[in-house]
Amino acid sequence: MIHNIFKKDLKLFFADKKGALLTFALPILLISLFAFAFGGVGGNRTAKPVQLLVVDNDFTKDSKEMLSNLEALKGVHTITKEKMAAINLVKKGKYVAVLMVEKGFQDSVALGKSLPLELKYDAAREIEMGMLQSVLMQNLMGSVGKKIINAKMEASFDTNFSGVPKNIKEKALSLMNSDQGGMNAMMGENNVGLQMTSVIKEDAKKGNLGLIQAVAGTAIMMLLFSIAGIGGGLLDEKEAGTLKRLLYSPVKPTDVLFGKMLAALVISMLQLTIMFVFSWMVFGLPIFKDVTSLILMIITTAFAVSSFGIFLVSIAKSRQQLQGYSTIIIMLMSAIGGSMIPLFVMPEIMQQIAVVSVNYWGIQGFYDIFWRSLPLTEILPKMGVLIAIGLGMTLISIRLFKKNVLKMI
Amino acid sequence: MIQVTNLSKSFDQLQAVKKISFSINKGEVFGLLGPNGAGKSTTINMMSTILSSDEGIILIDGNDIESSPNTCKTLIGVVPQEISLYDDFTAYENLLFWGQLYKIPSKELKERIEIILELIGLSERKNDLVKTYSGGMKRRINIASAILHKPKILFMDEPTVGVDPQSRNRIFEIVENLNKEGMTIVYTTHYMEEVERLCSRIAIIDDGKIVAQGTQSELQKESNVKETIEIRFQTITSTQVEILKEAFPSLIQNNQTITVACDANKELSTIISICNTVKLQIEDLKLNKVNLETIFLKLTGKQLRD
Repeated sequence: MIHNIFKKDLKLFFADKKGALLTFALPILLISLFAFAFGGVGGNRTAKPVQLLVVDNDFTKDSKEMLSNLEALKGVHTITKEKMAAINLVKKGKYVAVLMVEKGFQDSVALGKSLPLELKYDAAREIEMGMLQSVLMQNLMGSVGKKIINAKMEASFDTNFSGVPKNIKEKALSLMNSDQGGMNAMMGENNVGLQMTSVIKEDAKKGNLGLIQAVAGTAIMMLLFSIAGIGGGLLDEKEAGTLKRLLYSPVKPTDVLFGKMLAALVISMLQLTIMFVFSWMVFGLPIFKDVTSLILMIITTAFAVSSFGIFLVSIAKSRQQLQGYSTIIIMLMSAIGGSMIPLFVMPEIMQQIAVVSVNYWGIQGFYDIFWRSLPLTEILPKMGVLIAIGLGMTLISIRLFKKNVLKMI
Repeated sequence: MIQVTNLSKSFDQLQAVKKISFSINKGEVFGLLGPNGAGKSTTINMMSTILSSDEGIILIDGNDIESSPNTCKTLIGVVPQEISLYDDFTAYENLLFWGQLYKIPSKELKERIEIILELIGLSERKNDLVKTYSGGMKRRINIASAILHKPKILFMDEPTVGVDPQSRNRIFEIVENLNKEGMTIVYTTHYMEEVERLCSRIAIIDDGKIVAQGTQSELQKESNVKETIEIRFQTITSTQVEILKEAFPSLIQNNQTITVACDANKELSTIISICNTVKLQIEDLKLNKVNLETIFLKLTGKQLRD
């Protein structure tokens, strides 16, 4: 008896080919994606160098030598920029950091003083920053660290052993230099004076990075799912016959689609607003720091997401198909676009692929508002991309709606 | 009111409607009778603008459906085969929504809804959710939704499918009332008794073609089907059969039963009189009147509910 039931259930399971495919294909797709994102799978394992902006205000032999040594490293590629332009690029999240070599660098090296070096960085890119900081410290120690220590030792010798003949002093310093262990210990203790500053000013109004990621990422992913559900109402109407009745009346087929999309848009805006208000009330997300940008970002994100939801409905011929398509597409887009895993922990190639996802533009827009505190003019391009995605999806949906949905009546 | 000329429609390899032509006069109830899959719904879908034809012309009150679909849409109302209502709306909300699509001014629409709810006998349940309604009540709201904008023509596609006899009678009354008010009605069904009761003219459709059309008596004449009298005797001899056959050459004998095709009103007394003369004892007598079922059978060689 059990055997018969077992056989029957297996037969039924595999009879639904799309369902069966989904059962195996979705996990495989996600495993591949996460393996690619975290495991360094695919291509060679040589990481692409970190792009570091540099500003050389000292422009001396030592500063040039230090920057040239930095460029020679495999893990870093330096790009020279003017100070303000460089800071702005980091603020916008285009580059991870800018290394500012201020005037007096060479003098400080010669005198063994703390170096006038500042690394202004984007704290949203933690992983790259960690790597960069380590590479920078090694490079500084290698290129100027020895000079600084020598200068310090000489000064110390002069203070403590004044009157010692020059040849004795040179011999003593040479002996100290040859003691690699001692040198390393001194270098380790020595602070070359690299000052680290986040380009995003820490203020009471700024949101917590993890919170912004959690709210924006989750909100957009859940929005995609709920909009696919709302759009699915169109297929319910088809099955119930109300779509047919709508078409008997003096209503254009596209009016039906736009009406549904408008409802999805309003519900999306409402859903996003409620999520942000909740995050403000419970987690303290500063939603009032730039209300105009937030409202516009909510509208454009809702537009892109609702048109995407309608697009999903237009490619499906039944509820079952919609469920299959939406699960795969939304999960993939959310994984790629940074809803599931923050983009800054992904390899650069994944960050580049992310631009195909609605989630990416939405999340980055909310980052710009809450984390980077960018003015509206700087966020507008991202809103423009979301509108373009929305318009593109709407146009495709109209064509597919006529082809798939209306034909099936 | 409606003129259909050489109308055809195919779905891939299947030709659902094959060059059909018919006309429907103003104020009549026109029946489109045929078995499931005959092409009735496809024809209605084309006449109600939601399906384009491959070939042919449809004129609604003089308007070509292809060139003026929106004008035609305001002239027609459609009661679809499915109960096309929003279950989570009340009856009133459903009617309000469907009426608004025709841009009826709000006040006027509300008045019309009240009148129509009265007409279909659901005024008292108007604020109940449709999902709490019985099948018959839903069917009535389904009809009400189609007549809010006072269409000149009402297409009713199998409006009584799955309803109880009481609700069916109620629907018949609604159709008759609407027709009395001057509405032209196109009624499709595969129940011949509905067509017999409601329709002044009928088109029999089978396999995508109009097999015959006209009034019921015209169809009877065209099909040459006659009513029959079936008589069972206690016993009957071959001599007695021969005598009866002289008077009624179409007589068919089957054991103790004979069947005679004739006009019962005129010839029943003659048959009984001859039977008495030849001393035949009648055990049972049955009159088989001509109906659309028999006409349909004669014209198509199929049962209507095949």
